Amino acid sequence: MGNYQQMQSANHKLNPVNLKLLRAAIRFNSLMLGLTGGTLSAIVIYFATHMSIAKWGADSGNYLGLLAVFFPGYSVTASGAWVGAFWAFVYVGLISSLSYRLYGRVLGTRIADILLSTQPSDNPVLKPTILRLHGVSLGLAVGAVAGLGLFCSTAWLVIRGTAAESVHAALLANYIPGYTVSIFGGLVGGLELFVFVFVASLLLAAVYNKIVEVRHK
Amino acid sequence: MNRPVKDHEILSAVFAKMDVPALSIAVGILGALLLFLATAILLLQTVPEDYPVGPHLSALADYLPGYSVSWGGTLVGAVYGFLGGAIAGFAAAVYWNIAHYVALGVMLISSAELAD
Repeated sequence: MGNYQQMQSANHKLNPVNLKLLRAAIRFNSLMLGLTGGTLSAIVIYFATHMSIAKWGADSGNYLGLLAVFFPGYSVTASGAWVGAFWAFVYVGLISSLSYRLYGRVLGTRIADILLSTQPSDNPVLKPTILRLHGVSLGLAVGAVAGLGLFCSTAWLVIRGTAAESVHAALLANYIPGYTVSIFGGLVGGLELFVFVFVASLLLAAVYNKIVEVRHK
Repeated sequence: MNRPVKDHEILSAVFAKMDVPALSIAVGILGALLLFLATAILLLQTVPEDYPVGPHLSALADYLPGYSVSWGGTLVGAVYGFLGGAIAGFAAAVYWNIAHYVALGVMLISSAELAD
């Protein structure tokens, strides 16, 4: 038996958690969050495209059309709305799913103590309890994915050779000091965005948990 | 945490419901802060006289009537941010809960078929 297996075995004796069930639980919920995020963002892109067409007709797509940089085949047209919905589902679904994977990994075996607002139900399936959020884990997971996302999208603009013309992306420097459309700027921006999203996640979790506490005392 | 985690506790965490009003309000507050700060940060930056402030963010007025990059606009933006965030939070929580019920239904039906 290797060192890692010995450690796992020793840990299991101290804290006998059904790790197989825990991993399956994290996988299941990451799929659920992926579906939730993907579907909702697809709906938003679909309707935003149609709203833009309805309002501006042939002139539509000044800003929304920029999505074509990341959504191949997208345009502010009726058929483009479907393409946009597809890519939004893929990107946001993957990002949401990855975020939950990280969230679950950070929470680990503390999942039950942290996530449940009340005593765990004897019949968790038919009488579910109310979910709580763990701000630090949420911030680490969502912040990491957001930071990585900004770095990758900046890197993509550099790789495709349009960094100099990416004036709209460069406007992010108004909110993220030091950000530029370059590999180094993407790295700086990614790190700063991680911090901003981490703080926002702490706030989100604190407000959500407080309301849950008041409503389910 | 030193106490062991039981299987039904893990299942409770998996099938726990999202609190719909709580997530709506929490995401709403975050949305309000986001749009308020996005506008205020532009206003606090020094720009040459007669130079438009935030011409790109001002384009939001096409979707949000009454919004502008001005101090009054920060409050209008905060209201819109809250509404948009609350709708997003509501939709996410409702979808999450429904998706879990549907998945659960599928699992129960499959397990019943397997038992037969």
